[in-house]
Amino acid sequence: MNTNSNSPTSASDPSIVVLAEKVNKFFGSMHILKDIDMVVRKKEVVVIIGPSGAGKSTLLRCINHLEKINSGHIYVNGKMIGYHEINGKLVEDSERNISLQRAEIGMVFQRFNLFPHLTALENIMEAPVNVRKVPRDQAEADAERLLARVGLSDKRDKYPNQLSGGQQQRIAIARALAMKPALMLFDEPTSALDPEMIGEVLDVMKELAKEITMVVVSHEMGFVRAAANRIMFVDEGRIIEDTTPEGLFNNPREERTKAFLSKILT
Amino acid sequence: MYHFDWALFWKYLWPGTAFQNPLILHGLIATIVVSIIAQVMGVILGLFAALAKMSKLALLRAVADAYIWFFRGTPLLVQMMLLFFGLGVTHIYDFPDIHIWGLTIIGAIQAGVLALGVNEGAYMAEIVRAGIQAVDAGQMEAAKSLGMTFGLAMRRIVLPQAAKVIVPPLGNEFNNMMKTTTLMTVISAGELFYAYEQINAQLFKPFELYLDASIYYLAMTTVWSYIQSRIEAGLGERKGVEKVPGFFERLTGVRTGAH
Repeated sequence: MNTNSNSPTSASDPSIVVLAEKVNKFFGSMHILKDIDMVVRKKEVVVIIGPSGAGKSTLLRCINHLEKINSGHIYVNGKMIGYHEINGKLVEDSERNISLQRAEIGMVFQRFNLFPHLTALENIMEAPVNVRKVPRDQAEADAERLLARVGLSDKRDKYPNQLSGGQQQRIAIARALAMKPALMLFDEPTSALDPEMIGEVLDVMKELAKEITMVVVSHEMGFVRAAANRIMFVDEGRIIEDTTPEGLFNNPREERTKAFLSKILT
Repeated sequence: MYHFDWALFWKYLWPGTAFQNPLILHGLIATIVVSIIAQVMGVILGLFAALAKMSKLALLRAVADAYIWFFRGTPLLVQMMLLFFGLGVTHIYDFPDIHIWGLTIIGAIQAGVLALGVNEGAYMAEIVRAGIQAVDAGQMEAAKSLGMTFGLAMRRIVLPQAAKVIVPPLGNEFNNMMKTTTLMTVISAGELFYAYEQINAQLFKPFELYLDASIYYLAMTTVWSYIQSRIEAGLGERKGVEKVPGFFERLTGVRTGAH
């Protein structure tokens, strides 16, 4: 590895969970992410905001390699994700290695993506049993604890289509937590929900924010105020601001940040 | 006016008398067994071809495309004769009789199963692919985000959901398969229709005998349609999927009720 261990942003620094260096991403000729640098430290809760099409979700999806990058590096827990370098060139890792790293990164999707053919309990047990090879009874006990934690113990044997959107998203959070991830990624977790269900999901996330490292793409300012340590404003593939919530609300650096904030804060 | 030979008609229809002719009994068994094995082969080949068609590797995609192109683009009858007589004459494979578990599987049956199965795979490939593509892409992403490899995610998450889309056309394919086994008559494979052909060659009663054969095929496809409607009802009931066509709707091809 080529990083300087004295530098405050070295991938080998154990307090750093996510480190992105000069990340570029193209969709065809569209330059989606432009020289992204980003650091997320342990227990930090980072919220990414920005207009649609700015690259927020793409950035998040690069962190667990659901999207490939064209150049730069992303390290999660000190290990480069998705690639290794041969003579300065990115070479995609084996599927097995990528899967092993993804198992340490929980992800919650806008559309929940629960497995519809499995019950709530089975959704949560699926990965621990089949990826981690946890014994079934232990996985079941863990899953029941997680169901209780998201307040849905009574729904354990329900199928996703028997649950409301808010309940599905809470199960999806429990499913991600079942792998005991070091990092949780949330991709617009409340934007597919009816307004009356947003609160129950944010409550679970706020509880979680006290103990786990999180990167959240969301415009829920209630969550930002209650739980975020840092907020990033992304526009046209660049991180325009990277500061505390107070810093952003009180004195945004750029005009476009002000313009955007005025739109979402009303 | 044609004198319909009722006695002969019943003799070769009623199982009690018809099965005394070993040609018919063995032919019926062969038809059922060949249909099942060829269909299973078709599903497996179809699954691999479908996955190959979705592969990142251009070579795999090309092989799958060529396979589907050839076997869907040429007549099954020709494929079967090419396989049996063509391979035989080149001595690549002579289709010798195989003896297992006290059974003798004659070369023509082997060739028939092979041709039917490989041909079926080319059709199943599209059915399986459509089934996989009907599953929301978010399912694969969610599975991957939990650390599943592509294979595990396919097996545990995507294919079980695709099955609901695959099973109805798969059932129809099997229905066709039972009827298509009659093509094996041209390579004297000894399935059910071959039996009636042989008997007719001696007795020359084509109207009665082919009617009997028709009734046997009708019985097999009807029983299968019933089984299929039960399987689909079982697949659908857990999660309240759209109502599956009932048994009679399926037989007649007419959809009743409000849609």
